[in-house]
Amino acid sequence: MEIYVDLGRCICCHACEVACEREHGEPKISVGSVRDRASVPVSCHQCEVAPCAHVCPSGALSMGDMVSFDGSKCTRCGFCLLACPFGAIDADLTSMIQKCDLCPGREVPACVLTCPTEALIFGYREDATRELRRRAAKRIAQSYAAAVGRDRA
Amino acid sequence: MVDESLVPTVCPYCALGCGFYIKLGKDKTGIEYMLDHPTNEGALCPKGNATLEILSHPDRLRFPLKKTEGGWVRISWEEALAKVAEEIKKTIRNHGPNALGFLGSAKCTNEENYLFQKMARILGSKNVDSCARRCHSPTIPALNRAFGSACMTNPISDLANSDCIFAIGSNFAENHPIVARWVLRAKDRGAFVIVADPRLTPTAWLSDLHLQIKLGTDVALLNGMMNVIVGEGLENRKFIDKRTVGFEELAERLKGYTPEKVSEITGVSPSSIVEAARTYAKSASSAILYSMGITQHSHGTNNVSACADLALICGQLGRSGAGLYPLRGQNNVQGACDMGVLADFYPGSRSVNDVEAIHFIEEAWGAGPLPVGMGMTAETMPVAAGDGDLRFLYVMGEDVINSDSSSSRGRRELENLDFMVVQDIFMTDTAEMADLVLPAAAWAEKEGSFTSSERRVQWIDRAVPPPGEARSDLWAILELANRLGLDFDYSGPEEVLAEIGRIVPSYAGISRERAEARGGVIWPCPFLDHPGTPILHQEEFSAPEGRARIVPVDYLPPAEESSLDYPLLLTTGRVVLHYNAGSMTRRSFSLMKRAPELFVEVNPDDADRWSIVDGDLVEVNTRRSRAWARAHVTTRQETGVLFMPFHFPETNRLTSDVIDPEARIPEFKVAACRIGKMKGV
Repeated sequence: MEIYVDLGRCICCHACEVACEREHGEPKISVGSVRDRASVPVSCHQCEVAPCAHVCPSGALSMGDMVSFDGSKCTRCGFCLLACPFGAIDADLTSMIQKCDLCPGREVPACVLTCPTEALIFGYREDATRELRRRAAKRIAQSYAAAVGRDRA
Repeated sequence: MVDESLVPTVCPYCALGCGFYIKLGKDKTGIEYMLDHPTNEGALCPKGNATLEILSHPDRLRFPLKKTEGGWVRISWEEALAKVAEEIKKTIRNHGPNALGFLGSAKCTNEENYLFQKMARILGSKNVDSCARRCHSPTIPALNRAFGSACMTNPISDLANSDCIFAIGSNFAENHPIVARWVLRAKDRGAFVIVADPRLTPTAWLSDLHLQIKLGTDVALLNGMMNVIVGEGLENRKFIDKRTVGFEELAERLKGYTPEKVSEITGVSPSSIVEAARTYAKSASSAILYSMGITQHSHGTNNVSACADLALICGQLGRSGAGLYPLRGQNNVQGACDMGVLADFYPGSRSVNDVEAIHFIEEAWGAGPLPVGMGMTAETMPVAAGDGDLRFLYVMGEDVINSDSSSSRGRRELENLDFMVVQDIFMTDTAEMADLVLPAAAWAEKEGSFTSSERRVQWIDRAVPPPGEARSDLWAILELANRLGLDFDYSGPEEVLAEIGRIVPSYAGISRERAEARGGVIWPCPFLDHPGTPILHQEEFSAPEGRARIVPVDYLPPAEESSLDYPLLLTTGRVVLHYNAGSMTRRSFSLMKRAPELFVEVNPDDADRWSIVDGDLVEVNTRRSRAWARAHVTTRQETGVLFMPFHFPETNRLTSDVIDPEARIPEFKVAACRIGKMKGV
């Protein structure tokens, strides 16, 4: 399972960051605004073929159900920072690597629960894409219904 | 788990009344999301997520403090309360009760506000007001006149049922982020979203049509839309005939507001005005959201009237998906107004000029005669202090200095007071000016009820103890009242709520038990088994004869225009990571780190013209004062307009003090200004 984003819903409120920081001490998700026109939350995408795990020389990052991180093996070499295509791994190299762990101990990660606009979706790929399709289809179908004089559901 | 308990609470920031749990662990206090809360379904904005940082903050006031020549000195509650009581008595003796001023707080509970105004009025002072004056005071006269009731007509979640949502002067995505959840649900149903705002805000990102109007031209836009609606016969005749009065006069007045003429005033194209008008009028159910962009003007009351007129002529009221939503700012601003912490109203929206209503309250309180007539407002109290008419000021939970327009003048005036006592959780700039400071308990450290913007009354219990000797405002008021010889005999806040139910008809059926249930009760709740009233005005309005009044208004330009010396216009507003005067959010580590300093948004053309680049420290000057800020070059506003958030004290030194003649709210939203690089930097 991983965290998906419905980009059109992000309002750049940073609630996910603040929630993550409270739960973990450091934020492992971040929201960036692009020229004050749109914003994007970025966190670990749990890649199926994860560049960070591939380049990790110590085995601290490994691929299984999710890309997991074992701090006791980390040498802070920083290769993962360079390898991640999303910049989702961060570290002040004197401290520990910061990477989303999907909030172990919670059914749904804190960032997803707190998102005011339901821009963050947690689930399997099929669930998340189905939800995005459902939202898009509903939008189109209901506008059509209204346009031809039927009631919206 | 055994070693953890969850205490339900309501967010202390904005007025949406979002619920969450405070998680008390063995060695750590945390937040847990309340998935079954009807307003927020567990979601919280960044401020909601950071609330605990306030409770445990090292700056919290822990002891009563007295100002001496050598600085602040800790004193006992006994000494502090005796001193306040003595000063009140002295002022009454020497200058009469109307030399006393009382500023209540939209952050305190209903019970605290109720007792605060009761104390003030029994002492004989008319001067009771609150910070509601600075946000929605125009809403109160305008909607009372229109509908007979001045509050949000439908619940927030009902926005999901709208087919057209028209937000004017509201940046809800930043200031009420949970509203965006329901607006997006409506969009999922194909709703059309119109946002009228001089800035391209994150709220405007969500719109299908953004009307980027010039500052303060809202009435022109609204009249223009109504001109199109009436011109094309899109008004709801049945609704107008059956449920309103005054349409003919409005129709006559609208004639001059053609889309072309309005386009010249507002800067919005005629076709956009027509599209907005048609979509709003034709949609099966349309809702209007508005906020400070409408109210904080020298013609704020007119702005609100125009919003109400638009809803009325289209019949977009009194049913699900429709409605008028004044989005309120503070967690209990609705409650503070209901409790009569306003210079123009006794509890239950009873006018201070209504002698019969005041007589009812005299009987109920067993006190009197109570003062009749308008008292000093939050805006006029400092002026009166400067003139020597106000001698004593009691401020409960408000940073007056930083909330006021032209704040440097206000500071000088308040220095003229004989005595000022401030009750707060932090040493705010206002508290710094006081003679005595009383440490207050924060929201989660006490119990009582709060009324959200959607009229939802929710009771919260104490989750954690207050720091040091900090006490609830309720306790402090009761102790003080005793020392003043008032008969305030209450065993606790639930007994106060029971009295409120006897005085304020819409709270009659609200007990502690009902308000404590998940989601509380939405007033009007006139008797105990009444389910509450989420949607107002379904059958009739509360105005005379049950009919709403359409009040035609004309466009008036903002009080300040740009000039040779001040060629730009400054507007103010909020950002998502901060809250009001900032005494809480500026002490919150996780919020400050993301929004650390005052900034000013400058359009790239203006930046070029005054040789400013992004990140420069700049000086902004208005006719009143100057402020330094970090320049943020952005195309969010059009050329000629600057934006500054008012969470940092410098901003309100700049703002205009021209007030709306009826609601007496200052025009925070428009001030002529100039900008330049800071010298020597």
